Amino acid sequence: MPAGLRRSRSDLGYRRVVLRRPGGVTLLAVMFLLLVLFGPQLAPYDPTLTDILNRLAAPGWDHLLGTDAMGRDMLSRLLYGARLTTVAALAVVLVTAAFGTLVGLAAGYGGGWFDSLAMRFVEGVSVLPALAVSLVIAGIFGLGLKAVLIALAAVHWTEYARVVRNLTVVERNKPYVLAAQAIGAPGWRIVARHLLPNVGGPLLVLGAYSLSWVILAFAGLSFLGLGVEPGTPEWGRMIAEARSHMRSYPRLVLAPGLSIMAFVILINLLGDILGDRWRVDQVFSPNRNQRNP
Amino acid sequence: MPGSLATSLLHRLLSSAGLLVAVSVVGFALLRLMPGDFAEVLLSAQMDGELPSAEALAAYAADQGFDDPLPLQYLRWLGNALTGDLGVSLITGDAVTQEVLLRLGNSFILAFAALTLSLVIALPLALATVRFRNGLFDRLSAAVAVLGMSIPNFWYALLLALVFSLTLGWLPSSGYGTWQHAVLPTLVIGTSVCGVTTRYIRSLLLDEAGRPYMRTAAAKGLTPLSALLRHALPNAAPAIVTLAGLQLARIFDGVIIVETLFGWPGIGRLLVESLLSRDFPLMQATFLVIAVGYVAINLLVDLTVAGLDPRVREAV
Repeated sequence: MPAGLRRSRSDLGYRRVVLRRPGGVTLLAVMFLLLVLFGPQLAPYDPTLTDILNRLAAPGWDHLLGTDAMGRDMLSRLLYGARLTTVAALAVVLVTAAFGTLVGLAAGYGGGWFDSLAMRFVEGVSVLPALAVSLVIAGIFGLGLKAVLIALAAVHWTEYARVVRNLTVVERNKPYVLAAQAIGAPGWRIVARHLLPNVGGPLLVLGAYSLSWVILAFAGLSFLGLGVEPGTPEWGRMIAEARSHMRSYPRLVLAPGLSIMAFVILINLLGDILGDRWRVDQVFSPNRNQRNP
Repeated sequence: MPGSLATSLLHRLLSSAGLLVAVSVVGFALLRLMPGDFAEVLLSAQMDGELPSAEALAAYAADQGFDDPLPLQYLRWLGNALTGDLGVSLITGDAVTQEVLLRLGNSFILAFAALTLSLVIALPLALATVRFRNGLFDRLSAAVAVLGMSIPNFWYALLLALVFSLTLGWLPSSGYGTWQHAVLPTLVIGTSVCGVTTRYIRSLLLDEAGRPYMRTAAAKGLTPLSALLRHALPNAAPAIVTLAGLQLARIFDGVIIVETLFGWPGIGRLLVESLLSRDFPLMQATFLVIAVGYVAINLLVDLTVAGLDPRVREAV
């Protein structure tokens, strides 16, 4: 989805509440990070340990969130799932951000044939439905976890390339770049020392929004049966496996779904805070500049 | 300048055609990049997974033209695709063209129903949020939009199925045939995007609301609402159409999962089925048809915008 749409929701409203006191969201984010880091230590059980005698147990002191159809502890599975999702999504985002930024800087600063070729390609990819393309790519690489990560990265780097390129084109003609050129700094140095820090803020904001997209897409693909093996404590997979018990035991579907949603909301809010910090609205949606206050 | 519109349309058509060629090259190349020998994969699927002997493989490859240079193979494949032959399914052995097109039609029904639903909800809501800007309703709609963006589509679909079909029994949870079957999938996709759509239309309308002609409208005595309806909305219309086209991309992504979940025989579900059964020719055909449909929609959106906006009509 184009980033312009992403920013549009954030003018006022909830944002006013969140932005006035970013401490709450930051605290939540830190807590979540701790859960991700120490989840396996906090988990009371092995997330893959089946206990047939205790299957579908209701939440209680032994199992705080109950057990699933195989008698596996739900809380432990959710905690391990948090780590899996975070690591997988962060890997995709870091790789795509690095690659996309490189392409964007080269296209924006260098210009010329590379610029037009790269931007044509980026435009072409962004016109196609992202999930359909990643499905096909994952299918060709064999439907495993690696295939899914490659597929998500392959459709996602273009967003970074586009944004960084447009920012670089604006920065390229500013006095500090011209000054660096005037004292004879080599191109790579100008890009690394002067341009990169100046596109860093918006990049961070884009990173937050793209992280939330990758998490949702990853969970969706796992739900469809791609990526992780059956039985893996992964949120999307857990929902798929709890489907047949949904009617009698809705909590098995509710718990992982709520986890995904809470995580994604948290990251979107972080993105809003970062966006407010760096005042990057105009980067994502040029037509907003014209609006009167 | 007379004729410049034709030039610009021609330019759009050519760049769409270029994109399609690129997509077809990628679609063709992807299968050849696949690990393993393509001919072997195809032949062993026809022999129920047995590994073919070297002679049989060589004969098959020669017969199917896999020994030819790749550009020649590509042109042959493209020629077949253009004349309506998208290949043969590995699983059923049938030609896939008709099936793929039928599925595409089913998906379009769902996607357009969802798009219509989201616009029908979002337009009045957006007008209301602009009219009562920064009010409670405005803030509420912003929160709902974040929720809509953050909710996993497949999970939302399951929740609706749990409520409306498993618990209340009002609607069928899976299948195809009657209009009731389309209700839940449409509802899921339509409502999941309408929050974001509302916010976007709102910001488009706000762009217009600050312009001088709106002050003029207020000065001549129009109420805020009728000024919005008569002046801001028509001026924002081309951008709203562009937005609707962009939202189709999001909707189409949603369609893939929701079709699979509700057993709706659309092209998204076909793509997932072909993937999971590793039916590569079917997957290739499905992907090609999705891409073509997609580029066509984008072109259509651009043309509609050009037709709607006199500035574009005159200027380009």
